[in-house]
Parts: sequence; structure tokens; C-alpha cells
Amino acid sequence: MINKREEILKQATRYRWEIGENLHDSILESIYSEAANIAKVVVTRDNEKRKFDWDRWIDKLVTGKWTGFPIMFLLLAVVFWLTISGANVPSALLASLLVDTIHPILKSGAEYLYFPWWLSGVLIDGAYLALAWVISVMLPPMAIFFPLFTLLEDFGYLPRVAFNMDNLYKRVGAHGKQALTMSMGFGCNAAGVIAARIIDSPRERLIAIITNNFSLCNGRWPTQILIATIFIGGAVHPMLAGFTSAAAVMSVAVLGVFFSLIVSWLLSKSVLKGEASAFSLELPPYRPPRFLQTLYTSLIDRTLMVLWRAVVFAAPAGIAIWLVSNITIADITLAEYFVKNVNPYAAIIGLNGVIILAYIIAVPANEIVIPTVLMLTALTSNIAGFGSGAGVMFEMDSLSDTEMLLRSGGWTLLTGINLMLFSLLHNPCSTTIYTIYKETKSLKWTLISTFLPIAMGIVICFFVAQFWRLLV
Amino acid sequence: MPKRGIIARIKKIKSDEDKIAVEDALKHLYDCEFKKLDCSLNSLTGNLGLKPNQIAQVISKLESMSLVTLFNGKINLTEHGRDYATRVVRIHRLWERYLAENTSVSENEWHVIAEEREHETTDEVAEWLSARLGNPLVDPHGDPIPNKSGEILSKDGVTLNNLGEEKYARIIHIEDEPKEVYAQLTAFGLYPGMQIKILENTKDKVRFLADGHECLLAPVLAANLTVQEIDKKEIVTENFDNLTALEIDEVATVVGISNAMRGQQRRRMLDFGIVPGTTIYTRLKSLKGDPSAYEVRGALIALRKNQSDLIHIKKLKAS
Repeated sequence: MINKREEILKQATRYRWEIGENLHDSILESIYSEAANIAKVVVTRDNEKRKFDWDRWIDKLVTGKWTGFPIMFLLLAVVFWLTISGANVPSALLASLLVDTIHPILKSGAEYLYFPWWLSGVLIDGAYLALAWVISVMLPPMAIFFPLFTLLEDFGYLPRVAFNMDNLYKRVGAHGKQALTMSMGFGCNAAGVIAARIIDSPRERLIAIITNNFSLCNGRWPTQILIATIFIGGAVHPMLAGFTSAAAVMSVAVLGVFFSLIVSWLLSKSVLKGEASAFSLELPPYRPPRFLQTLYTSLIDRTLMVLWRAVVFAAPAGIAIWLVSNITIADITLAEYFVKNVNPYAAIIGLNGVIILAYIIAVPANEIVIPTVLMLTALTSNIAGFGSGAGVMFEMDSLSDTEMLLRSGGWTLLTGINLMLFSLLHNPCSTTIYTIYKETKSLKWTLISTFLPIAMGIVICFFVAQFWRLLV
Repeated sequence: MPKRGIIARIKKIKSDEDKIAVEDALKHLYDCEFKKLDCSLNSLTGNLGLKPNQIAQVISKLESMSLVTLFNGKINLTEHGRDYATRVVRIHRLWERYLAENTSVSENEWHVIAEEREHETTDEVAEWLSARLGNPLVDPHGDPIPNKSGEILSKDGVTLNNLGEEKYARIIHIEDEPKEVYAQLTAFGLYPGMQIKILENTKDKVRFLADGHECLLAPVLAANLTVQEIDKKEIVTENFDNLTALEIDEVATVVGISNAMRGQQRRRMLDFGIVPGTTIYTRLKSLKGDPSAYEVRGALIALRKNQSDLIHIKKLKAS
């Protein structure tokens, strides 16, 4: 028995040796030619030529030397414009419903039921308010951005963008499709990380995942716009204020793209050097987008899934935010204690203790950073008349009130600039970190994606602060 | 089993450096034996980069473990020594194969990395590696990989400088040491399995056609290539272009994919249906022509230049 088995194995090895290494190729070749022969007999085609010519015509247009890039930037601009301007109204509606209407009702309901103050504080001012904030800021832009993006994908346009951009991405050791995951990251980094599944080469996919955080996400745009309007717009002539602050926000976004390219290049040349890499990019035929299906799948798969993860993380964060502002040791809250001790160190990188604390406790969602910053500023600088108490996040309708509050908290133009930089370069939100872990199944890459941007943020803010103090 | 005993004894060698020296010496002796050369103390010294007194130590250690015998200044492997050497060679070649197929480590580093790993790889890891690679028979340089019981298959070939003019041959081995020479050879795009035709062979130069491109080598370099003569009728790869040269809306038939395209990348091409005989059109070129899009079996597929360079085609007249 055993002898026979050995003999057969030996015979097999001998045959393999004689046939050589290219057996696999030859088998596939014969399978393909056989399949082609069968198809020739049994498949009839009509009208395909016309459809194909039409596809070729669109392809020539969207990948053309003079037309490709303008079309790409135009479409991207339209998507952003629709998202930002379209999201304003529903966002305001949701905020007035969830924050201005339901929140007081819940508070008085709790009072009616004789809730102890701390319980209604933790549950309603903490957990509920954080949820309300995340939903009202996050939901509308995502519900617009993702369906629009998915429509372009469904039509077949996005692979052509990857085709146009591949030359640039190839130079930094990445895949052209990273242009798509990066754009998706402008909506939400967690969604961008998931979108990296479209890159089937392991090395390039990791690069896309790790660098996605450099796309300024939906939760960070409002921070950028608010701070730029107050500090940068406020530093120039009122005639130029609008233009200057818009330019500042755009430069931060472009800086993010620049960093994503640099870091891709560094990663591909260092830690990811030997990882397997294989390029492939299919350009599928164009087809009319299926609106309803697209709307449904992008809402369920992308928007709601991301929103759900954010909500799961936001509630505990709300509780933490309320607790640090209300637990006191010798009449000093934990927040004040932290802020006072961290202030001198934060000053080295041109920030302050409030910002550092806000970025730590608001890690679940960038959306609640600004409300947390405002609340903590009011709390720690003992300014009365803002917000509705310790641990209750708020935002103000009036820009000048916000500015007054921040300035009385000791903010300067440098604080504003460095906050904009730090908002671009810090750890991803916990939703994204969790998503990175789920996608890579690797603690190592999760830690790298988390701490690499924050290290870069600290270094860059440090240098900006030092030069600022030397020159100004 | 006596082999077990030897491995156990080697494992007992205390310092890692000693183990590496012993294993490297065995490998070199095995290589000499395989090439039917006599191995002297000098060639060993040159190859291992050790001082003569260190070499003497290594040799006496090998002798005391009865892995080699000394006779008239010639060093010969014993049966045990050969067993042990094939084990190290097997692990080395498995690693090279792994690096070529499953990573994007550059070709010039395969040998260097395998040199390190061969000393630290256990038999279990080697078996796992072999199974994962589908029990390969040759390494990426075309050298046979010994099987678990140390048996090795061989091909008869001659070095390129010994091949007559106008002869056709297939490269079966590219010597990967010294690595400077290997880098020069691979820079020409030479790979095992490649078909060549000698145009000129004198004592100053060897000129030959490789995949349709003319290459010129000094005979010293040509001696690092082992080739096997083939009949002219086998030749399919003469006078063809690569896919990169196909202009927009031109049509061609795929002749083959270069063996330099390996692993996942090669399987991807086959998945797309890019096999010999496939009709292929160039349809789009991006701004710099890299990537370009090709129509294959009714689908539009974008390939980078470094991929299309490795796909051999024969241009057809447009229909």
C-alpha cells in the first residue's frame, strides 16, 4: 500500500518536472479557447457594437488629455457643493428638533419623575445630547454625499477617475483607486476605510486604509469653517474675510491630500516595502444608474451603518464629557484640574488644555469637538451666561458670541491656525479606529493608523508655534 | 534515523555564528559537488569570507561531526553531510520561491534574505512553506528544490558561453552569486524559461536574441547562465513586441506572458483571459500612457507599463 502510494507520488513529481512550470498557463489557455469555441456556436449578439462605440466615446471624453481632469474636478465640486448646501437645512431642522425641542422636554420629564440631578445629567445632558449632536451634524451630509457618490460609481465613472489618477498614485507606491477611497473619506473616514476593499492588492489596500484619515471628513469641515471664519477671516479686511477664510479651509484640505501622498510614499518605501502587490483595474461598461436601488443600498450600507457605529461610541463619550465636568475633587472639577495642568504643555504646540481634553473625550466623533470645546471653555474660565451648565455641550447661533467666548478663553490667531492643523492631523475617531481594526484584523496597522497622524500633528503644530513666536 | 542525530548535534552548536559558518560551508561543498568541481580550502575561504584560521576551525568541526572527510587536500561530503546540506539548500530555495511569489521584495534581495532565513527555519516551517507554495520543484532562478528526503532532480545544460552560433536554447538557470553579476543579468530581463538564439559567440563577447531583444554579454557573465539547447521548431518567441508598443486602436494576438511576472500578478492576468492566442486591442492611454486600457474578450482592463512590458504580442493588421 505505502509503497504504491510513494511510487505514484514519485511518478507525479517526475511528470511535473518534465512538463515544467507553465502547466497552469497551458491549462487556462485551453480552457479559454474551448470556452470561446462553445460561445461562438451558442451565443448570438446584436446591437452590442453600438453600445460599445457609445462607451468608447464617453471614455475618450472622461480620460482625454484636455477633458479628463476638468470633468473630474467639476463633478467633485458639484458633489461637494450639493452636499454642503443641501445639508444645511435638514441639519438645522434636526438640531432644533433634537437639541432645542426634545432636550428640554426630556429634562422637564426627568424632573417630573424626580430623577436625581446627576442621573438626568449623565443620561440626558451627557449621553442623549452627544447622540443628538452626532445625528444632526452627521446624518444629512452623509445621506446626500453617499448616494451621489454611489450614483457615479453605479454609472461606471469612478473607475475612470482611478485610471486618470493612477500615474500619480503609482509614483507614491499606491493604487489609482486610492483617489476614490480618499474622496470617500471626505464624507466619512470610516466609510473610506471600508471602501478600500475595492483595492485588491494587499499592500496598496493597507496604504489606502492608513492614509484615509488625511481626508478632512464631514465631522471636521464645520470645525475648519467655524475657526477659519472667526480667526482667519477676522484677521483680514472685512471685504476679504469670506474669501480668505474659504481659502484657508481649502488649503487645509489640500494639505491633507498632500500628506496622504507623502505618507503613502513613505509607507510603501518603509514598513510596507515587502508586502505583496499586484495591480489590476477593470473599466466596466457604462450603464444608466439605478436610482432607487442606489439610494437604498447607500443609505443602508454606508450612511446608517456608519451612523450606527458613531451612535454606539457617542453615547459613552457624552457620559464621559458630563462626568469630567461635574465630578469635583475639593471643589475643582476633573476637567478644570486637567486643563490647568496640561495648559503649559499644550502651549508648547500652540494649543491649550481645553482643546487637548476635548480631543481626548470627544474621540468617538469629530462632530462633538466644537460643542465640547465651547462648554469646557465656559466651564474652565468661569464665564457665566454661556450654555446651560457644566457638562452640557452647546453651540451658539451668533459668531461674535462664539468669538468672544473663545477669546476670553485666551485664544489667539495662532490657537486658531493650530487647531485647524490639529483637526486635520490627529488620531481618527474611534468609529474609524474600530473600522480599521475590523478591516485589517491587525493591531499593528490599527496602532500605526492611530498614532502616526497624531505624532505628525504634534510635530507640525510645535514648529508652527515656535516659528510664530519667533516671527510675530 | 541517523539524519535526526546529525541535526540534533548541529542544533547543539552553541553560538549562532558557528552554526551559520558550518551550514554555509556545507552548502558550498554541496554546490561544488553538484557542479562536479573539486573543492579546496581556498575556494571555501573565498566563498565564506572568513579568515584561514577560522576556516580551519570550521573544517575541523565538520570533520569531528563526521560531515566531511579530508583526503589529499580535497574536502568531500559524507552521506550525513550531504543530507544536511540538501536540507539547508531546500530551505534556501523554498524561501527564494516564497519571496518571488508572495511578496514584492525585489529580485536582487531574494538571495540575501534567504541566506539569513535558511539558518533559522525549522523543518516544520519548511514543510508548511513548501505546502503553501504547492510543493514547487524549482526556485525562481531555475534551480531544482530538493524534496523532503533530500532527493534532487537535475537538468543537463551548458553555460551560455559554450553554446554555438545560430543555436536556439532555453535558459534553465541564472547563477545568483555574486549578486552584482546577478543584478546585471536580471537588468537585461533574463529569466529561467526564456528562449534565446545565439547570434555571435567569440572570446570577447556573446551576442544573442532574448525574447526578441538583442543582448550583449562578456563571456565571463555569460558563464553564469545555464542553457539547454532546443529544436528550432519549438521556437514561438521570435520577433515579437510587448504590449506597451501597441498603439491606440491597433490589434494584436497575445503570444505569452513573461515568466518574470509571477505570483498573484500573473494569476490576475490569466483571470482576465490574457493567455496565448487572445486578441487584444489598445483602447485608451492615460496622460502619460501609464496606465493604458486594453480591450480583452469584450472587457476593458487597465494595465500599468511595467505589466504591459511583460506581455508579449504579435501585431495583427487591423480588420
